[in-house]
Amino acid sequence: MSVDLDQTPRSILVWERSSFLDEKNRINSEVEQLHFNYKVSVLLPECSSTPPHLESVLTSFSRFYLVRNLPLHKLLDKEFLETAVYQGSVYGLSYRTRIDEDNCVALMPNGRLVLSLDKDSFQVLGFEGKPSTFGNRTKNRFVVTIDLTDSSMAPGGRGYLRLLTGLTSRLSLQMDFLLSHHPGGGASLQPLLSHCDWSEHTPEISTQSLTHLSCPEPQSCDPHSFLEWLGAVHTDVSSLSENSSSNFLSSLVCPEPKTTLSQALRVSICGLLLPQDVHHLVQELRCYLERSRLECWTSLTVHGFVDSPVSWGDREHGVLRGGENFYTLLMFHDHTYHIHLATGAHDTCPP
Amino acid sequence: MRGDDKKDKSAGYQRVVLKNASPYHYMKVCLVLEDESTKLSAVELKQFIITGLKTLYGEVGAALNFDLLKYDEDTRTAFLRVCSRGLVKLWSSLTLLGFYQNQACAFRVLQVSPFLLALTGNSRELQLD
Amino acid sequence: MVRVKSRYLLCEVNVSDRSLLLLLDDRAIAAAVKSVVARIHGDYGAALCSIRFSVKYLNAHTGIVFLRFPKRCYKLLWSALPFITSVESRGQNIPCFLNCLHVGGTIRTCQKFLVRYNTQQLHRMLPKCKNEEERQEVRKAILNCSLTRQNKETFQDETESEEDEEE
Repeated sequence: MSVDLDQTPRSILVWERSSFLDEKNRINSEVEQLHFNYKVSVLLPECSSTPPHLESVLTSFSRFYLVRNLPLHKLLDKEFLETAVYQGSVYGLSYRTRIDEDNCVALMPNGRLVLSLDKDSFQVLGFEGKPSTFGNRTKNRFVVTIDLTDSSMAPGGRGYLRLLTGLTSRLSLQMDFLLSHHPGGGASLQPLLSHCDWSEHTPEISTQSLTHLSCPEPQSCDPHSFLEWLGAVHTDVSSLSENSSSNFLSSLVCPEPKTTLSQALRVSICGLLLPQDVHHLVQELRCYLERSRLECWTSLTVHGFVDSPVSWGDREHGVLRGGENFYTLLMFHDHTYHIHLATGAHDTCPP
Repeated sequence: MRGDDKKDKSAGYQRVVLKNASPYHYMKVCLVLEDESTKLSAVELKQFIITGLKTLYGEVGAALNFDLLKYDEDTRTAFLRVCSRGLVKLWSSLTLLGFYQNQACAFRVLQVSPFLLALTGNSRELQLD
Repeated sequence: MVRVKSRYLLCEVNVSDRSLLLLLDDRAIAAAVKSVVARIHGDYGAALCSIRFSVKYLNAHTGIVFLRFPKRCYKLLWSALPFITSVESRGQNIPCFLNCLHVGGTIRTCQKFLVRYNTQQLHRMLPKCKNEEERQEVRKAILNCSLTRQNKETFQDETESEEDEEE
């Protein structure tokens, strides 16, 4: 067996430049298709405290529920289907399950239920699915996608009964579940929650101000270098401020040409975040840019859940090594924006 | 290794797809020691990793460039940056490092990614309760 | 049946005092190569060097060595060879270095190369001869190998096909 030591796992980075004023811009679909967002972080250069408008948008992010030991067949309750799933905009994701070792489940806002199962569970369940692209050739993992809004999946229908008996008698899956719904959608989670042990959580906001930050030219910087710099800012890498490449520990430097920001603000919010709220935040950041001085920019990074079985839309996602699925939106004063969408491993290309 | 596909619909719109083009890989690792009270500074950690590279890959391996971006002495968690070609070498030598000053130790590789940003938002760290 | 492929490196051992060459044996060369690979490429290199590595041939008079390496990692192992500065043999440390002359896929192609190479060397030696006796000897030697060369012409096609294999 020959092993190439230089090979690295596959990764994809999509870089896109467009303008909010361009009618054909795809920013909305890119934001809304990443359903399960874990963390949003915003970098505001030359800003010392959170602008009040932004603060209010951040605090208005939807709350989410953690349901403990949810038997999966409860998601097929007639009442839950009618009050929540058919209304749309319900987001559910199994919590503390690792997609590379456990069974993972996601309930998407369009009424699709995605189960990523290991081979045993898949065979016990006895429902149609297809092999995951993450099992290589060994077919150890299968993905079952069920459209709950389909007529055959209506309560009492053939597919519905088959799945229900599968989930109740053969494979009784139980897992912690994160649930959220968009308040505008008219859905109600009460019927489900009333039977379960649950707790309500608000997304956690943290703010940090940075000073004396060397910063590259965002308009012209190479995408990989820019993302590296942004990552270094978000991880608080100290060598970035020292900026000497002869250091024994680290030779990381800020890409040239660079300027120095006297101050910057880093705001991040964590939890199960809805794409609608992220979209709202993007709009607010645009307003903020309009109000502020010229030559200003902001960046917004949205991380998807590592263990979500889907990334953008219903594209399959898995971990393998990093499990990254995130995008960084770089907005400029003149309504133009750059967006970097990144995935790794066997994920398909983002939209 | 690298495939670009550019579509120019209008002057303002541009889309570039970069495949496997990231020059570096980033690792988040944690060193677990038998004796939890042992202090280990950043310089010592880097030196320790270099000795690991030297035993497994010799003088050529010891010359591999990698950076210790950030290190937390209390949890002994470090962010490493290595050029993509050296990832497998660094990772395998971390795996095979078993002893630090005659006490058993192990490196736990928490996350590996071609993007440093991805290490800041790992949903496996989400703690509710 | 699939052949297990190897690469043969034809090297010459360069020493300052040619009489030291007679002290060499193939085990000493193998040990020197193994230790230098272990130093330059560590445990990983040493492991690669433990499978199907051997010293196939050593001519202690001319200092010619054939080393066999597995095909998939011969480049890595080859890269360590310039770091050999001495060979320990029969309790004596012989300062020397290895000069790689040819890389072949079979011993046969290496041998053919060696014959051609030695002929060239003789041609180079001829003008440098000091007296008539030496000159006669060299001429004779050249004629001898010319004969083998003519024989070889008939196998020319075969040689080329084998050399193709060496990428």
